[in-house]
Amino acid sequence: MNPEVLAYPFLFVAIFFESFILVTLLSAPARYGRARRFVPGSITPSVAIVVPCFNEAVTLTQTTESLLALHYPTDRLSVILVNDGSKDDTAAAMAKFAGHPQVRIIHKENGGKHTALNAGIAVTDSEIVGCLDADSFVESDALAEIIPCFEKQNVAAVTAAMSVAKPSTILQHMQNAEYIFGITVRHVLSSVNGLYVTPGPFSLYRREIVVALGGFRSGHQTEDMEMALRLQKHGFAIENAPRARVYTKTPRTLMGLIRQRTRWTSGFLRNVLGEYRDLVGNARHGALGCLVLPVGLVSIFGAIVLFSNSLFLLARHALAAPALRSGVPLSYSLVPSAHTLDWFYAPLDLFPALALLTVLAAIALIAIGKRLSRTPGSLTLGLLSYLLLYGVVAPLWLMRATADVVTGTHRSWR
Amino acid sequence: MSLHSRNALIALVITIAIIGTVLYAVNYLNRQRIAELSAIENQISIDTLSLDTQFSLLETAPCGSVSENTELSGELGDLGDRLSYAEGQLGSENTRVIALKKQYSLLEIRDYLVTRELASACGTKPVTVLYFYSNAGDCADCDNAGYALSYLRTTYPKLRVYSFEYHLGVGALRTLESLLKIKNTLPAFVIQGTASYGFTSLEDLEKQFPKGALATATTSTQK
Repeated sequence: MNPEVLAYPFLFVAIFFESFILVTLLSAPARYGRARRFVPGSITPSVAIVVPCFNEAVTLTQTTESLLALHYPTDRLSVILVNDGSKDDTAAAMAKFAGHPQVRIIHKENGGKHTALNAGIAVTDSEIVGCLDADSFVESDALAEIIPCFEKQNVAAVTAAMSVAKPSTILQHMQNAEYIFGITVRHVLSSVNGLYVTPGPFSLYRREIVVALGGFRSGHQTEDMEMALRLQKHGFAIENAPRARVYTKTPRTLMGLIRQRTRWTSGFLRNVLGEYRDLVGNARHGALGCLVLPVGLVSIFGAIVLFSNSLFLLARHALAAPALRSGVPLSYSLVPSAHTLDWFYAPLDLFPALALLTVLAAIALIAIGKRLSRTPGSLTLGLLSYLLLYGVVAPLWLMRATADVVTGTHRSWR
Repeated sequence: MSLHSRNALIALVITIAIIGTVLYAVNYLNRQRIAELSAIENQISIDTLSLDTQFSLLETAPCGSVSENTELSGELGDLGDRLSYAEGQLGSENTRVIALKKQYSLLEIRDYLVTRELASACGTKPVTVLYFYSNAGDCADCDNAGYALSYLRTTYPKLRVYSFEYHLGVGALRTLESLLKIKNTLPAFVIQGTASYGFTSLEDLEKQFPKGALATATTSTQK
């Protein structure tokens, strides 16, 4: 059997999902979501943003200052800094804000991010509570963009539009394009209540719902995903504010990235195939149950199959090449022949054509995400690195995470 | 119907339409390739007639008026490349490809005979290789040998390489194989009239050419 045949079902799913995203983007609920604006003078619920910190001395000051600069009535906004047993100078960094009327500081024994969030939520009676990872920074209008999304009572959480804070390495540029791709997908899926994660960088919740559901749990080291799935399971809606920009620090190195994504992916697999298995394929949970979670699972499996398939074909060609050359100079193999310009030799075949289409659609979704969120900066490097690297590096953490889940391996957070 | 169901249905229709369009485009291109091959086939039919005439003219015309490399041999190389590519795209079982390959083999034999006739009548010294291969899975080194010969043909433009699929089942080809006493041990080469079997490397293949033969094959850029 031609190994390419294995790839077709996954290419079909990829094209189908991208088509669904583009069609839903044009639907009325998504259009309404984009048009939603904060009207000055409208209701401003009390908001408390919890910043869980474990060894975040370097970035904490900037994170807190960005929160205090939010355009929101100061008497309705508070910031709760929770020191989760840090070993570095986090306590000293927090002390700089000790006298600030909007800031409250909590020191506790290390217990994990979810315990820090719960500690923060426990000391506030604000209607809305939010989380901002201590390595992330918000735009001043981010909260004003998010608050109108709580207009419906069944909306339990609202997510923001994430991008990478000052990308410098090629991997960070790649992640920036990926995050901006995520802005489009998150915006579209929220319009059909299909979100399964409320990311640490600036997701906000109705406090009474979070408390009623028992607060945050470890959730296999993905407390944001577990909370989102629990909200969905209980029939609540999760909204998205595509212009609520938040910038987050991302891993600079490949190993750091693989560690982070292994945690995310294994968390997804353990949550979705574990406690929240009944959501998958469940028509009661609409797009999330019938489309988003099944496609998420298939895409992990598909990426591994496609990558293994490509690796196999590459290895086969690489092994055959020296024998095929049999002394023929390498220059002959590398220099394109005159045939390249002849239509007769056009390399149009089903597999490369479909693969090209999925890539073009991904580029379109990234461009849409940038425009939707009005994220500043050039995306040229991001797009290039995303196109060249993502398909090579993403399978590494997908395979590692899948292997961890299959073998029951648990890794530390960092 | 819910919004997500409706959109999923639309997305499904779009997906099927996209894949259908790509499939149609691929098939259309393949049909165009066949049409192109047919056009070349027609041209070659004319060239064959011209070749017959050239044979007759040889008997009376002075050698200087007949090109050492007939026009047909230039077209043969191009047709061979296209046939090889079309075979890769459409499969070696494609009946049209097989029919074209048969005709191609006949033309190669005719060109080979003309070349020999010219050499005998006019004293020219063409460098020729008859290469017998198989796509039936019984020739492990044929891909490597074919690649090496392509390189030689590109490097030495006056080298005349005639490739024949051993199992093609054309009467004239069987006769040629029988006359040259080619055994079913592929790949097989007949270089300047001497048969050899098997392929190890380009270097070894080059050693089978008479000394200086390849050097003289670089004197012209005509294919």
